[in-house]
Amino acid sequence: MGRYILRRFAQFIPVFFGVTLLLFFITTVLPGDPVALKAGEKQLPPAVYAALRHSYGLDKPWYIQYVNYLGALSPVHYTPKAGLQFTGPDLGESISTGRPVTQMFSETYPYTAELAFTAIGLEIIFGIGIGIIAAVKQYTIWDTLATLGSSILVALPVFWLGLMLQYLFGILMKEWTGGSFYLPISGSGGPGSPFDPWVYLVLPGITLASVSTAYAARIMRSQLLEVAGQDYVRTARAKGLRERSVLWGHEMKNALIPVVTFIGLDLGAMLSGAILTETVFNWPGVGLMIYQAIGRRDYPVVVGGVTLVLVVVLVVNLLVDISYAFLDPRIRLGANAEG
Amino acid sequence: MRSRFTKSLAVLAACALVVGALAGCAPKTSTTDGGNTTSNTPVKGGTMSFYIGDPAAIDPYNAQESEGVQVVHQLFTSLTGFDPMDASKLVPAAAASWSANADATVWTFKLDPNDKFSDGTPVKASDFVYAWNRIANPQTLNTATKKVDPSQISYHLGAVEGYADVQAGKATEMSGLKAVDDLTFQVTLSEPFGDFEYVVAHPALAPVEKALVEGGVDVNGTKVAFGDMPVGNGPFKMAEPWKHGQYIKVVANASYYGAKPMIDGVNFMTFKDPDTAYLEFQSGNLDFAQISLGKIKDAQTKYGTSSDGFTANPTSQVLLGAENSTYYLVVNNKDGAMKNLALRKAVSLGVNRQAICDTLFEGTRAPADNIIPPGIAGYAPGVWAFSKYDPAAAAAALTEAGFPGGKGAPTISLTYNADGGHQKIMELVQSDLTKLGLKVKLAPLTDFPTYLKALGAGKYQIGRLGWIADYPIMDNFLYAIFNSKSTDNYSKYANTAVDEAIVEARKVTDTAARIKAYQAVDTMIGQDLPIIPLMFYKHHHVTSARVHDFVFSSMYLADFTKVWLSK
Repeated sequence: MGRYILRRFAQFIPVFFGVTLLLFFITTVLPGDPVALKAGEKQLPPAVYAALRHSYGLDKPWYIQYVNYLGALSPVHYTPKAGLQFTGPDLGESISTGRPVTQMFSETYPYTAELAFTAIGLEIIFGIGIGIIAAVKQYTIWDTLATLGSSILVALPVFWLGLMLQYLFGILMKEWTGGSFYLPISGSGGPGSPFDPWVYLVLPGITLASVSTAYAARIMRSQLLEVAGQDYVRTARAKGLRERSVLWGHEMKNALIPVVTFIGLDLGAMLSGAILTETVFNWPGVGLMIYQAIGRRDYPVVVGGVTLVLVVVLVVNLLVDISYAFLDPRIRLGANAEG
Repeated sequence: MRSRFTKSLAVLAACALVVGALAGCAPKTSTTDGGNTTSNTPVKGGTMSFYIGDPAAIDPYNAQESEGVQVVHQLFTSLTGFDPMDASKLVPAAAASWSANADATVWTFKLDPNDKFSDGTPVKASDFVYAWNRIANPQTLNTATKKVDPSQISYHLGAVEGYADVQAGKATEMSGLKAVDDLTFQVTLSEPFGDFEYVVAHPALAPVEKALVEGGVDVNGTKVAFGDMPVGNGPFKMAEPWKHGQYIKVVANASYYGAKPMIDGVNFMTFKDPDTAYLEFQSGNLDFAQISLGKIKDAQTKYGTSSDGFTANPTSQVLLGAENSTYYLVVNNKDGAMKNLALRKAVSLGVNRQAICDTLFEGTRAPADNIIPPGIAGYAPGVWAFSKYDPAAAAAALTEAGFPGGKGAPTISLTYNADGGHQKIMELVQSDLTKLGLKVKLAPLTDFPTYLKALGAGKYQIGRLGWIADYPIMDNFLYAIFNSKSTDNYSKYANTAVDEAIVEARKVTDTAARIKAYQAVDTMIGQDLPIIPLMFYKHHHVTSARVHDFVFSSMYLADFTKVWLSK
């Protein structure tokens, strides 16, 4: 297992270099000048334009920019004067705001993570829960409701669902209850906020979790029904085990593997930021920041953001792979198993 | 039986959990619905919750877009100020008085001796010298990263003597700035500029303290970059460092030399999407928001409309006043087809501006009959004779251009950025021109950066642009958009007579005479029709029922100095 993890980490290195190199190359192909854009529809004086391009290193060829970027990212620096120095990774500065990209992400990433884990929590509870009910109560009204509900959720556009939830819980509910009960419809709190911070997660969390929960429920249902016909399940029943023990002790472990894969990949995607949900709910996360940066051709933010997201997704995928070994004893990770 | 009992218990427990969770969702207090008093007696206190987009900067040296300027305007006071109700009128601000020499090249500002920064430090003429040099110098450092990050709005100071040398790197300070003494600031210009007193009213040209800009601002023992915690001489001061992407909290500045605000402070709540902000407003969590398009009439019915369009009070909360900005079709005057004046006339006369304003903007924009908006002193209706909808005249112009009924006319391309909501406008323009017999194709470019590059390279026939006034003067439109040397002259219009007339107008020190001179320039340009004005922008904002005496000026600046909130 240890060697497997080490090898997986080693695979990160070419993926990391490949993606960042590709991103830097793309920045040279994309039209639009990020520095000219800083002034909007007005043009910059030539001296200011030149100084800004020099300051952001844009006056150099893209491959030199790439080498400089990697150099700044490295935690170890050496200069003859100062010798070896250890610093935090430097992702450069945002061209549109002039702020350090590392600082921008350290401010926004906690919000993305908070929202992602809330949504995943809802997905696990409701996706798996509804899937189990639908499978156990197959062809009953509960199964029909679960299948119908998940079909509707999959079909609903996320932004529309978000807007409807905002309108229902933020405006109508407030009118109906005379202001004694309603939910915040955007942001994450702030000065004079009438709510506890966690309440701000409710609506965006539900919105972000909606489609994935429906998928998770469907996968859970179909997997449970599939394993229910397996020999080992029949054997368990033949041994006289109670239905609850058959379900939790035998069926669930195998049925969960595809669900865990799905939820794990979904967690990776959510930790990359949720542009639509963040926009609708004005949630200060990284997804929207990267999206806006693309529009502004703010390459340091785009490259830094995608790099950060890439690392998170790789780590989450690794964790998902490792979790298989715990769910199914037959799965062995590493050289011995493969050999 | 036992099983049913267990299930009932589980259901009860689940209900208890849900109720418990819902109890947590009940608001502890309400932010804006304090309950409306019927009294009209102003009361002190309260915090206004104000929608803004995400500012690029709130440090005056880079206050460039409307959102950043809005905050800077509250934190800082420049030499002069715009009267909130009539921006064309100047009022004393940091300068108690000012004067110019005979040819408007030397300006002397006498500072108000009571003017202080919010940390109690008196404002001195040297603070203006430092602030302005900081804006002009292309090697100015970012206060957070300490890397070169020059101001993008140094053009404000383009008229100051020595500006070109600083920009060229030959000097670090402009020779035209002089702190004669602590309270006398003298500015020498490289050429006459009678409207300079309006330029210095821009919030970006406010004084800053060198020590704080370079050393940071102390917040509870920690140094915070000036860009995140600017200290100014305005009616409000930062309560805490800027919470990027979330809010900017400002409170009344006790050191402010002018009339103190009635409210305790303003929370500038940052929204990426104005429609979300309007939902928050409807939910009662904002005191000020931009009304979503499609909901203007509904808002007017619900909240009442301000009679002057700029002042909001309970039951007259919707603001629809004219802004000093114009949306226009930029025409490539170097293009083989579009350099034909008669063809430009035909296009301009053939566009039904009123229909665009009504259909797409619910009347929140007005048909433009000039590049100069009505809020600018000197605006004269009808001066741009061809900036109106007249299909018969358009057909005649088309014949004059050599294309009767559009026969033989080249296909005209309408270029725009597809990411900015301009498509529908261009479709209506296309439809109108097609009715004239012209062949018109839409040529959208993916995004604004690509579009701007195409405009700069002259790779277009007709495009679109908007111009928002930096200062409420005609010069800000006529020089920037039409002077042959201006970098913002995307139409590449070049008329020596116009260039010279603008220079001459700048020399006039008498305001009325100067406006007259600019009006003559405006008329000349209107006859040449190098661009086609389409619409004047208007506010489409609303305040909550607890807000009294709030003024949102034609310069898009909020005036909180008289605002009071119902308890």
